Amino acid sequence: MKKTCILTFTFLVFISLSLSAQESLPSVKLKAVSGRQIDFKDLVNESKDTVMVISFWATWCIPCISELDNINDAFEEKQAIKPFKFYGVAIDDSRTAQRVKPFVRGKGWKFDVFTDVNSELKRALNITDVPHVILFKNGKIVYRHTGYIAGEEENLFETIKNL
Amino acid sequence: MKSYQFKVILLSSILTFNFFKHSFAQYNSQYITGHFNGSYENTSQYYMKDDKIKALQPLEKFSSNGFLKLDYNYGDFSAGIQYESYMPPIMGYFPFTVESNNKIVNKYFKYTQNKFAVQVGDFYEQFGSGLIFRAYENRQIGINNALEGFNVYVEPTDFMKVKVIYGRVREIFDYSKALTRGMDAEINLISLLKVKENEHTPAITLGGSYVSKYEEYTGPLDNFPATVNAFATRLDFSTNNFSLNAEYVNKGKDPHLVNNYSFKKGNALQLNSSFTKNNLGASISFRALTNIDFKSDREQEFATIGPLNYLPALTKQHDNLTSNIYVYSTQPKGEIGGQTDLYYTFKTGTKIGGKYGTTIAANFSYYSSLNDSSDLLSAGKEKYFSDVNIELRKKWSKKMETTLSYQNVFYNGSLQVLSNSNVISNIIAAGILYKFAPKKSVRFKMEHLSTKKDQGNWTSALSEFSFSSPFAFFASDLYNYGKTKNHYYNVGASVTRKSSRFSFAYGKQRAGLFCAGGVCRFVPANYGFTASLTTSFAN
Repeated sequence: MKKTCILTFTFLVFISLSLSAQESLPSVKLKAVSGRQIDFKDLVNESKDTVMVISFWATWCIPCISELDNINDAFEEKQAIKPFKFYGVAIDDSRTAQRVKPFVRGKGWKFDVFTDVNSELKRALNITDVPHVILFKNGKIVYRHTGYIAGEEENLFETIKNL
Repeated sequence: MKSYQFKVILLSSILTFNFFKHSFAQYNSQYITGHFNGSYENTSQYYMKDDKIKALQPLEKFSSNGFLKLDYNYGDFSAGIQYESYMPPIMGYFPFTVESNNKIVNKYFKYTQNKFAVQVGDFYEQFGSGLIFRAYENRQIGINNALEGFNVYVEPTDFMKVKVIYGRVREIFDYSKALTRGMDAEINLISLLKVKENEHTPAITLGGSYVSKYEEYTGPLDNFPATVNAFATRLDFSTNNFSLNAEYVNKGKDPHLVNNYSFKKGNALQLNSSFTKNNLGASISFRALTNIDFKSDREQEFATIGPLNYLPALTKQHDNLTSNIYVYSTQPKGEIGGQTDLYYTFKTGTKIGGKYGTTIAANFSYYSSLNDSSDLLSAGKEKYFSDVNIELRKKWSKKMETTLSYQNVFYNGSLQVLSNSNVISNIIAAGILYKFAPKKSVRFKMEHLSTKKDQGNWTSALSEFSFSSPFAFFASDLYNYGKTKNHYYNVGASVTRKSSRFSFAYGKQRAGLFCAGGVCRFVPANYGFTASLTTSFAN
């Protein structure tokens, strides 16, 4: 027992001393409907100074679906004004997680969707309700919004344009 | 001090030491560059008496549930707490014996590297689909079965992922006396066999889990198992357009209050498959289970307190007011059934699709008893539930969208204490959303439920107005014109700004099962005011 504790202690001291450049976003492994697997931290970092939008939703959340449908309808038009990256994150747990891929493909949405089956990312980013939209730029959260009422996507596009 | 507590305290101390050492070393040289992140959520209710709907006014007329969560990330470290206050708990949230309390209920330290993570303190985790083990939080329903102990994640090779859990399950403000430990391993067969990958290469993973619970037994029986072991195995196969998942769980003898101290073993089998093609998505699920209720406390009768596994009802979650009257909840003692879903979008520019497209969603689910509790595939004669439903959604213009849905439900009355007869109901719902100016809209929805049984027919109307962001108003009425002639009306407003939302409502709620994420709790009828606030913040 003592030996295990000493080994654990030495190991943890070693890894903590080897800390290098500091990033402050949570590291959560995500799997996309497209099959892509990535760490959330890397996803944010790879977008650099291009605005990246993460929209938290679920297959059972009607306002979320309306928001994503409306964003999808204007997707190409708004991308032409100012390019941005856009991903959905489905918080469906194993009750409805098997629906996410057929649902997304059935909708024909133009953006990729990640799944967060045990709400790890939702919890790490302190999201209480869906829909919830977070905008990142240069590795930082620059804007977030909860809830959706018809027409609100225009605010989002306006915010992206001004960032 | 027990060795379990010692291990937890020791590991916490080591991580705390390193965490603060690095934070303050950085602070001394420059400033703290970490990231603070938090949220606050509060739901408060004021109760009034209403004899007609049998709403009682409790001694404590005001109740309030509050959740404050704070997290801090610094490099590879993160730490956090969750503080909860129940002054007292809102009606039906916990067993009525639970009194007012407030406490820091969760605290954790986590160290994450690319292929390694360790968390000490309170943690959430899931093995496979959760059929054998799931620790999670659902504030709506009142579930938080986080484990206090440690959780390790490691990728020892390119093709393998291993998770280890060890600790005690949270039970409201305390922890279960039982000790839970487990391990899950997942192997990526494509990486293992070094298959050359291209866009058509399927993803194939094999998984295995082991969960063991030790709960001291001091009773008179010699053969009573203090340790309950459960094993699970799973296979996931997926290509771009097709997927197949299979999971099987076997649980050893686990006598507890809810299964009437049965010494029978438990089993569960779940199969899911999906297929997608241009604007078409379809899925089919099958699940059979027997004696699979796995609990951290054998004397606990409430499904929301200290569960070890997750057994959601695999049915469609509807957003109609009337659809929530007859909702199915899983029968862990024995059940067999499944569901199928179909989604299709008629392309824009076609006759049905119109300028903006038309989507169709259809679902069918069916569940029945098992004939023989030791045979998972022995479908029984007693039907528990079925639901056939179809929904059409059409966007006519940039301003107008309509929905139309139909649902046929069979509900076995013996599943709910309130009703004894089997209920067959038909529901029709129609809704319209009209945007009369940018950011100004109105939504109106009408529903009708017809049945000859239980309380007879119901109807409902709902309207929502959003005049200009951030304000929104709603009014609704659910009316049982079949038998009780009761109106369950609600009016309210909400204001949203960035990541904060405040809402206020006044009205009546019917008694019934309140379900979220497929787990249900009974909520008594209530009448009064409800206020909710949610906010998220970060530095």
